[in-house]
Amino acid sequence: MDERRTGYLLLLVLVSQLVFVAVQGARGGGGPTYLERLGLRLVGPPARAVASAAHGVAAGRQQLRLQRGLLEENRRLREQVEALELRLLRLEDMAGEMHRLGSAVRYATPLLGQIRAVDVVYADYTSWLRTLLVYTGREPAAVNQPVLAPAGLVGRVVTVSGPYAKVQLITDRAASVGGMITRNRRQGVVRGSGQEGAALSLEYVPLSADVRLGDQVLTAGIDGVYPRGIPVGTVAAVDAGGGQMFHRIRLAPAVDLGSLDQVYLLEHAAVPQELLKPVPRSAR
Amino acid sequence: MRAARLSAGLALALLVHLMGTRLFPSLPERLDVFLVVALLNGLEGSSLSALLYGLAAGLIQDSLGNGPIGLHGFADTVVAYGAARLAQRLVIQRAAGVGSVVAFAALVQQAILTAMAFLLLPSPSLPAPPGILVQAVAKALACGVLAMVIYAAEGRWRRLNETRRRGRMGRLRLE
Repeated sequence: MDERRTGYLLLLVLVSQLVFVAVQGARGGGGPTYLERLGLRLVGPPARAVASAAHGVAAGRQQLRLQRGLLEENRRLREQVEALELRLLRLEDMAGEMHRLGSAVRYATPLLGQIRAVDVVYADYTSWLRTLLVYTGREPAAVNQPVLAPAGLVGRVVTVSGPYAKVQLITDRAASVGGMITRNRRQGVVRGSGQEGAALSLEYVPLSADVRLGDQVLTAGIDGVYPRGIPVGTVAAVDAGGGQMFHRIRLAPAVDLGSLDQVYLLEHAAVPQELLKPVPRSAR
Repeated sequence: MRAARLSAGLALALLVHLMGTRLFPSLPERLDVFLVVALLNGLEGSSLSALLYGLAAGLIQDSLGNGPIGLHGFADTVVAYGAARLAQRLVIQRAAGVGSVVAFAALVQQAILTAMAFLLLPSPSLPAPPGILVQAVAKALACGVLAMVIYAAEGRWRRLNETRRRGRMGRLRLE
């Protein structure tokens, strides 16, 4: 094609484009034109391909970063395991020393028995009595048998019927546990409140006792049901209790009682019930 | 062969634009890959090819943007055709010369785009005059540099190809 014809073609192309732009400008926010749709159909697939490639690259980088994170976490956990092994060695050493000292004074420590995992088949957290129903299988549970979770104390068996047992949670209003603040060995009675917010309270801790937020409370082993040293909860609030003799202490339970699907029955030799009965006046 | 090369050039420009925009969202404001490709084709001297290629490059760019179809199509057609007419009268051999022509053409394209936006669009969203000038100059320089790089790389590749071809011919004669 000679230059003159090319010039005419140029003129035609430019004028038609000018008209097209002007028409689009005048139309304002109208729907897309045929040419716009065609352009979108043309550039859409490559744009999508680039976007998916970029997405793939980003996903690959994310994967790499995750792997690096896992390596870092693995290194950190190895360090933690080493530190814990050292701590375990020290604790074993201390336990051995305590055992030797106990033997020297003929101290008979109550043995903490075996644990047995059982499934929770029903949970009642809403009613006044807060209970769990557990399936114990062929080997039935015993009344007053302590029930634990990995994080701490759950409650005790109150009723047994065949392969089922009803567990009274420590948050039940009628439940009480002999408790002890770990930091200062101060003892009290842990009671359930039966309410959602204030789940436990530690009672009979005198105002003279030093109680701080975050103090850990364990079972004291003085109630004849629970052995010593099972985590019960941590101090969530302390109130001097205006003019009274004892602190008003609220505890947060060690166990998330709302998410139990399996618990452990502790095979523990409880104090015989006849020994727990008050001595009659005539016998004194 | 030439049509395939031109299509590949346009596809490559589209790919570079899409990938660049993904990596640097402000790339379209700093560099016009389609214009560079259209101008490099125009500088080969065929006005009809420059016209059609400029039109295609501009329309693709319009399809990617939010503006009206034909805005870049018009501007790119004009500057690509102008570059082809200039190449018919001038012999531009050095990369710096090519870069200068492309930078100037990019400035002209920016001026055409601005004028068209003011004249034809109801509410053109353009930056204030000093900003628009700085932006246009920066974009023109970036286009010039990119054109220089592409031109130099293409020249080098051609020379290498020629050397290889001559070597093959020499061996054929000996046999």
